[in-house]
Amino acid sequence: MEDSTRRVLQRLIRRIPTPQLKTTLEKWSGMTVAQRGSMDYTQTKWALTEKLLSLCEENDWTTKHITELEMIYVIDNPNQGMWHGFQLLDPEDDAHSVELTQFKEQFKSHLGELVRHVSVKIKKHTDEAVWIRIAWGDSFSRPNHLKPTYVVHHLQTPYVFVTGLTSKQKPLLSQALVLSTRHHTIKDANLSGRKLTAIRDLLMKQYQQVFPTNFPSPLAEKNETVSNPKIEREQAGPGAHRHQMACEAFGDGMLPQLQSAVYKLETKFKDHTNRTMTERDEPFKCIVKFESTNLLESLRYCAASGIASTPVTPLLSSIPLKGRNYFVITDNGPGPSSQMHQSQN
Amino acid sequence: MSSLKPFSKLPGLNTANILLVESEEQFQQSLADALVEETSVTVNVRLAKSLPLPLENEESRPRIDLVVFIINLTSELSFQSADASLKYLDPGYFLGKVCFLVTNARNASVPTERLDTVRKLAASLHCPLLFAEDQTPDGVTNATERLLTILKVAAGLVPLATALYLSNLTQCTVPLDIDQPSFD
Repeated sequence: MEDSTRRVLQRLIRRIPTPQLKTTLEKWSGMTVAQRGSMDYTQTKWALTEKLLSLCEENDWTTKHITELEMIYVIDNPNQGMWHGFQLLDPEDDAHSVELTQFKEQFKSHLGELVRHVSVKIKKHTDEAVWIRIAWGDSFSRPNHLKPTYVVHHLQTPYVFVTGLTSKQKPLLSQALVLSTRHHTIKDANLSGRKLTAIRDLLMKQYQQVFPTNFPSPLAEKNETVSNPKIEREQAGPGAHRHQMACEAFGDGMLPQLQSAVYKLETKFKDHTNRTMTERDEPFKCIVKFESTNLLESLRYCAASGIASTPVTPLLSSIPLKGRNYFVITDNGPGPSSQMHQSQN
Repeated sequence: MSSLKPFSKLPGLNTANILLVESEEQFQQSLADALVEETSVTVNVRLAKSLPLPLENEESRPRIDLVVFIINLTSELSFQSADASLKYLDPGYFLGKVCFLVTNARNASVPTERLDTVRKLAASLHCPLLFAEDQTPDGVTNATERLLTILKVAAGLVPLATALYLSNLTQCTVPLDIDQPSFD
């Protein structure tokens, strides 16, 4: 067995927490039933690693087997690392008819033409997502399996989610993706987060949305909790209205667990008491970052409780509306009366 | 812009009505649930985010016997909202029918000046200032008991006691050295 395979296996076992190790190994086809039964998961991580290394020797596992195990683990636990959203633009006429086998072949051949040493593994997950694992090498070195790039693409949608990509590999991956999905260009969707499910739900709008309506829901009285007749809210009307506005902006029910939003301000400094700063020609640059375990939920609460004014400012409501969490804000034009606007990037 | 008046309506028999004003609308709900449990008198609770109260409820609203401003000390907005609401109250209310209820006063992140500001406000209006713990059920029960005591007097349900008399005893006073630096 090669030394590199051992290293990859060791590194992988170290990454997987012991409680998940059992389920991950059970889904993997590399071990026989007897071998699976002989594993004792109450042992320490070190002992388990030793045991697996000896099994590796015995079964003659190659890097291919190990990468498959890694993919099983990553697919089951996708909320690790930083995921970035990309959007494919200008589809060709046959873009909607791309199917899995064709995509697989095309992607592998296109990427193989661009980089000589590259190892690509493609797996289809149950929820229609195609998972691609790419281990990059260059013309002189073999693929580095310790730092793979993961790409998730739902066929027939224009969205791609990537983690572990360096700027050097970005153009290569973009080109292979564009060609194999039959699109013309790809752009950064300006959305990133630790939770793949959250950014996927946000981009694909897979959460409960509320649309503006003139008529309150006919079932509104059903949803209200049975309240005491002795307790009465004086401002129940405005409160319900604020709640409705907040839900229209951010959605109802469970929201995608987005964890941060970044606003890069490149606007003029406006403060009449501070002349030196106001009269400067170059824009005042600063970065505003919102962080929370569930940012959209927090923003919705702010709007519903009246802490933030309603209707919700486009600066905040464009997070779910445009599906991005990185904005560059510039002044609309010269002159002190110019309004802030979001640049289209 | 109408202000709330203490004697514009007739009182109900053995009934006391309390208005809880809180900009965050968090504590008032649990407090209201505890207040209506009182059995010796009928307690009606009205909840508001801020004053003035909407005109369309004018007809259905009973006579308000006690107005409670709930101020969360960790939030500047909470104080500002209560401060801005005060001017929509008829001066008659300040003869013992208003009180301030402060929450989160023990929170370490609260600037000490903010409590002083609230204290000065309550003292200048001759109103009692209560402190409450809003996180625990015990704290809610305690706050409810205190409010009920004041409410019963303010509603005229306690013989030989009036709101003005009680507030003379319970009103908040500012220590003379509040602006002096402390030497601890």
